Amino acid sequence: MNRKLVNIVLIVLAVAIVVIIGKDFIGKKAGKNIENPYEYNIDEYRKVDSTKILYFEKTHFPVKVHDWAGVAVSDSTIVVATDNHLLKFDYSGKQIFSKQLIDTVSCVAIDENRQIWIGISDYVVMYDQNGTLVKRWNSFGDRALFTSLAVSGENIYVADAGNRIVYQCNTNGQIVQKIGEQNDQKGISGFVIPSPYFDVAIDDNGFLWAANTGRHVFENYNEDGSLRTSWGLTSFKIEGFSGCCNPAHFAILEDNSFITSEKGMPRIKLYDQHGQFIGVVAPPDAFSGSLAPDIAVDKQHRVIALDFTKQQVRIFEKKKE
Amino acid sequence: MSDKKEPKSIERRRFLRSGMQMALAVSLGGVAGVSLLKSTSKDLVWQLDPFKCVQCGRCADECVMTPSAVKCVHAYDLCGYCDLCGGYLKPDANARTTAAENQLCPTAAIKRQYIEEPYFEYVIDEDLCIGCAKCVAGCTSFGNGSLHLQVRHDLCKNCNDCSIARVCPADAFQRVPADTPYLIKGGFTKGGSSKDNLKKG
Repeated sequence: MNRKLVNIVLIVLAVAIVVIIGKDFIGKKAGKNIENPYEYNIDEYRKVDSTKILYFEKTHFPVKVHDWAGVAVSDSTIVVATDNHLLKFDYSGKQIFSKQLIDTVSCVAIDENRQIWIGISDYVVMYDQNGTLVKRWNSFGDRALFTSLAVSGENIYVADAGNRIVYQCNTNGQIVQKIGEQNDQKGISGFVIPSPYFDVAIDDNGFLWAANTGRHVFENYNEDGSLRTSWGLTSFKIEGFSGCCNPAHFAILEDNSFITSEKGMPRIKLYDQHGQFIGVVAPPDAFSGSLAPDIAVDKQHRVIALDFTKQQVRIFEKKKE
Repeated sequence: MSDKKEPKSIERRRFLRSGMQMALAVSLGGVAGVSLLKSTSKDLVWQLDPFKCVQCGRCADECVMTPSAVKCVHAYDLCGYCDLCGGYLKPDANARTTAAENQLCPTAAIKRQYIEEPYFEYVIDEDLCIGCAKCVAGCTSFGNGSLHLQVRHDLCKNCNDCSIARVCPADAFQRVPADTPYLIKGGFTKGGSSKDNLKKG
């Protein structure tokens, strides 16, 4: 009888111990999931009216990319330069070639002869369309940090986030002029580049556009480096640019309208040539994380986005009206 | 009957005596071992890895100290000194000013100081900071991630079982040597170049 009682007490004790341990475990788990009273909430700004979404995602394919990488398009090929690799794909995602580069890439552009220009931190290299190294420029110094390239004929425009300036160079890397230096007499306030997001592109008329990300404006420059025009709007709302360094990337379509890509709350948008907001290519809900996808556009007005979080090349096409 | 019982009693006494002696020896050895370990090993303190932090807000509420021993710190070498600072201003701020309604920090612990057009410096008032990480979330999403949390060791009680570490959803808390107690963001902490850290920010 006594032995039975002892057994019962031991079993009850064992059950009690298991219950206490289980409760503590569940309690700890629940403690990890409680609501955050200090949450930084931007959900309101992530919502996009569906009528404003003008594009749809046609296809995508996987690509292993670091967040220090770039995408460019030419004819029916997509070039992705990432880490120390140059990758070329067709639009179905079939890899055409993969070349080992000599250093870590920071940006890429393709010229009209399909030559591939690659920015590598403080210098530029050029490969032919088959991936053979043709040119290598000298270093622009320790402070240089190239974040974007734009090619127009014999002119190579290099955005240097480190020195907050755009260099107009010849194909051998000799500086023709510096664009965007602060000059009160010429009405140039200078580039404000808080982080290495500083993009440039050439419009259909051959004029240079640069994203002055610290001021949330696009600046347009004449051939002589004088400021031609600018547009931009600071706002978390869909028609504006938010945060310290947006638009992080942009590309110009053949009709001179702009495709922009933002960081923080990633979204890709379409503006007309005067900076009027037209609509959305990809809303924030199409992305996870906070990195801005690098973008390129082709002659069919398709938008090719390099999504660093999803590790994909994503191709967006305009919806049929 | 009695002849059989006597040797058993002696055995039990011996067993108890030797058991007690053994337990005493083990406990003395244990104490000596722990003392030796403590005197030879480095002291450890709690710290949170800012690269793992998910800005959940637990650091403000779970610390045994009031206000929390976790404070926001600023890696000035990473900061863009922006006019539009995601860590200072509310997303829906009416203007880029120091007006209370525009400030993201619930305790107004960040001081904004004009340097030159268009640059501003942001300084943390640690007496006001509660370690809620709201500014860290804003800075990490829209800026370079220069604002981040750290356990301040002039305030931390260095509890054996840190109450924040118990509930940290990112397991960002770890024991670090007391002679290098901080994990400050910046080019000098993660081994990479400052350019790498900037890009990731």
